[in-house]
This record gives sequence, C-alpha cells and structure tokens, in this order.
Amino acid sequence: MEDLQPDLSRTLRLDANAVAGLLREAFGTEMTATPIECAHCGNRAEVGTLLAYCHGPGVVLRCSGCEQIVVRIVQTPEFYDLDARGAVALRLNRLEH
Amino acid sequence: MKPSLDWQIATVRAVRSETPKVKTFTLSLPAWTPHRAGQHYDVRLTAPDGYQTQRSYSIASEPERTGEIDLTIERIETGEVSPYFHDVIVPGDQVEVRGPIGGYFVWQASRPEPLLLVAGGSGVVPLMSMLRHRAAARATGPARLLYSSRTLEDIIYYGELSALQDGQASLGVYHTLTRAQPAAWKGYTRRIDQPMLAEVVRPLGRSAQAYVCGPTLLVESAADALVRLGLNRAQIRTERFGPTNLAQGG
Repeated sequence: MEDLQPDLSRTLRLDANAVAGLLREAFGTEMTATPIECAHCGNRAEVGTLLAYCHGPGVVLRCSGCEQIVVRIVQTPEFYDLDARGAVALRLNRLEH
Repeated sequence: MKPSLDWQIATVRAVRSETPKVKTFTLSLPAWTPHRAGQHYDVRLTAPDGYQTQRSYSIASEPERTGEIDLTIERIETGEVSPYFHDVIVPGDQVEVRGPIGGYFVWQASRPEPLLLVAGGSGVVPLMSMLRHRAAARATGPARLLYSSRTLEDIIYYGELSALQDGQASLGVYHTLTRAQPAAWKGYTRRIDQPMLAEVVRPLGRSAQAYVCGPTLLVESAADALVRLGLNRAQIRTERFGPTNLAQGG
C-alpha cells in the first residue's frame, strides 16, 4: 500500500461502513456505530467514521482525524488477524439475550 | 435475539433500467429483516470452480416494504460483479446475499434535525432509501437533496425525485449536471462546491444532519465545505464509493 501514490490511495479509500460485513464477522456484532478512540490523537468517534483502505491484502482502518492506523485486519482461511494497537478503547455491545 | 448475518439465497423478482448504466434489481428474501435507510447488503458470487467474489450494494428501497429489497447497481466495465448483474441476471435467478449491514450511515424518519443529502452519481442510492422512508413515514421536517450527475440521462430516479418533490412542500431536490446540460436546463452546471452547498444548506440552518455519498473525492470535498459552512464533523456522515470509475469496486 505504501507503494501507491498518496493521491491514488486517497481516491481509493472508503469508510469503515464499507467493511461493516467483515467487522461483524470478526467481532460477532454490528460495529460501525461503536465508539472507538484513536491511540495517536485521542479522537473518539464511531468505527464507521474510520477511513478504510481495502485495496491491499488486508483492511487498514485509519483515524479520520489524524489518518494514523487504528486497526488492521487480515483474513486467512482459519483466522481473522487483528492488530488494534492504534485503538485505546473500544466499546462493544453485549449480546442480547 | 442477536441479529444473525447469515448468507441467504435471494430470488430476483424484477429488473428495471434506471439509466443506460444503472439498473435496479428487486430481490425477494426468504429471511427478510427490516433494514434502516442507508444500510447495505453484501452480494456474493461463486464461480463453478469455487472462486468467490463479494461486493456491497446500498439498499434503495424503504424499510416499510416487507419481504423484498431493491438494490440499484451501476455497471462498472472493469468490475466482476456489476457486469454479471447487468448482462446475465434475469428475473427468477438466485443470488447469495447477507444483510442488512451497517449501523453508522443510517437515518430514521423520527430524527428531528433538518436533513441534508448530498450525492454524486450512484451515491444517490442509499439517500433514495432515506427519501422513500421519509415519504412512507410521512415525515414533514425540512429535507434537501443536492445531486450531481454527468448528464441528464445519467440522473438516477429522476422522475421519482421530481414526483417526491412535487408532493412534499418540505422537500427540495437540486440537481447539478457537470458534463452536459439540455438547452433549457435550470439547475446547476458545475461540480458541487462550497457556494452551491451554502445555497442549498442555508435554509436548513446549522443544526442540519448531513449524509454525503458518492465518489471519494466528491464526498471529501463536500464534507470539508460543510465544515467550513459551520456544521460539525459529527453532523456529517459520509459514505465513500472509491474512485468515480470504480464505484463500490464493481
């Protein structure tokens, strides 16, 4: 992804809403309205506000405030590999009974 | 009950041409659940050799319609999924879908704020679901749609948008045609910019809730302009479709 020209990368980016299906698979619940806090700039907003870069082998979600990486997700046949070191806090809905 | 997100087999009930490059597909769903306007469905195609590919398409219909949904799909020449829909699928065919998906880019008619909708090209689709929902719920709060298309024939839902506007004093629909305009065209004739947004948003006031959907660069420039016009980022929800010629990845 770093090899792409910045302008092209900017043109290709989407909102995290575009990967709502993947997030729901990985977390088991709807995620785009969930509050998440960026570890880099402290911006706190819904997951749906994150910028989604989906044209590489995984999905990279960046903060819409500082554009630093918040979450990376790679799917393999067996696992979702999640790197969330860019997120300070994430509030997950409890499953309804 | 926890909402499930299982794949289900939908049956295509109808196919309607909207513009030369855009068609609407009505899908009957065996496990239909009510959506919220602005949500999407994932569509998965499987080739005979097992190769699978998947795209997300916004729901065009209102949640008040039960048992079926409309997906309005633009044909992307280099895409894998949209040409299949346009060239191959006929009523009676079956496709694999899951949804509704997404809890962020959604609007409900019970929201009290004035509604501002900004669309480029097929970005109008989830906003049309909102307008159809608004009409079905008989919401009367002020709402405005600013919609950018290349030419008159590229405007999706043109007749229905005109009818909605004629039937509702609280709704304003504003078109801009960026590439070519018919002789008697009275709408805007340039890309969406800050002065245009200022004219459209002013009567709604600063409490407006904005939904902006379309090609990424259009969405970002419109959202930035709305912030300069005094809206907070939290009042602006965006859905980027990617590059103009690769909307929704095809």
